[in-house]
Amino acid sequence: MSPDTAAIRSSYAPAPGHRYAVGDRVRIKGVFPPGHRRTPWYIRGKRGVIERICGAFPNPEELAYGFDGEPAKVLYRVRFAQKHVWPGYRGPDHDVIEMEIFEHWLEPDEGEAP
Amino acid sequence: MSDMPVNKGPHDIGGESAGPIDTTDHGMKFWEKQANALRSVLSRAGVVKVDELRRAAEGLEQYGKLAYFEVTTSALRVLLLEKGLITEAELKAKMAEVRGRFSVPDEMESPIKKKDKR
Repeated sequence: MSPDTAAIRSSYAPAPGHRYAVGDRVRIKGVFPPGHRRTPWYIRGKRGVIERICGAFPNPEELAYGFDGEPAKVLYRVRFAQKHVWPGYRGPDHDVIEMEIFEHWLEPDEGEAP
Repeated sequence: MSDMPVNKGPHDIGGESAGPIDTTDHGMKFWEKQANALRSVLSRAGVVKVDELRRAAEGLEQYGKLAYFEVTTSALRVLLLEKGLITEAELKAKMAEVRGRFSVPDEMESPIKKKDKR
């Protein structure tokens, strides 16, 4: 892999104008629009914390239909408590699941931490 | 009214029970290598994007019944038709021509004659 390619694929690409910061509490939008969506069904409506800002990337939900994916969307890695995501979860309380989610799927979470 | 969640794709099965997983390595059939090479070349050339292939795959009616390379190849077929790079008529004619090379009476029959199998 050339250095140029490595830079493009970095998890730390620039993310100009990002709305959320590491540590911010967010809620995944509980919406169910048609089409190619990059947010798994089971995480919609769940609440987590921004673990890192991955960078800004062409929007795959637009690329999927042959468009150019511009403007780029900021991608975050979000951390969720497993016991919050899965009802009846039997593992340790500190188990987490992390998932990369685009900014347009996030909203601020003001309530108590789940 | 259906009990199916609204707009939930057939691929979006995280958290659902899926039964046992067959972890046997079945290798790749000849056609799978050919089809995969075509998909790879068209992706590398920027003709199709992985996001488009995923979207087309998720829209396949037979998604849950198809094997992996059947899904990816069917998705590629959808995109090439969608982009006007091939037509249904051309595809049909080519498939008939290829099938003719094997003198297969039924499209579901294997091109390898039973007596030729080792």
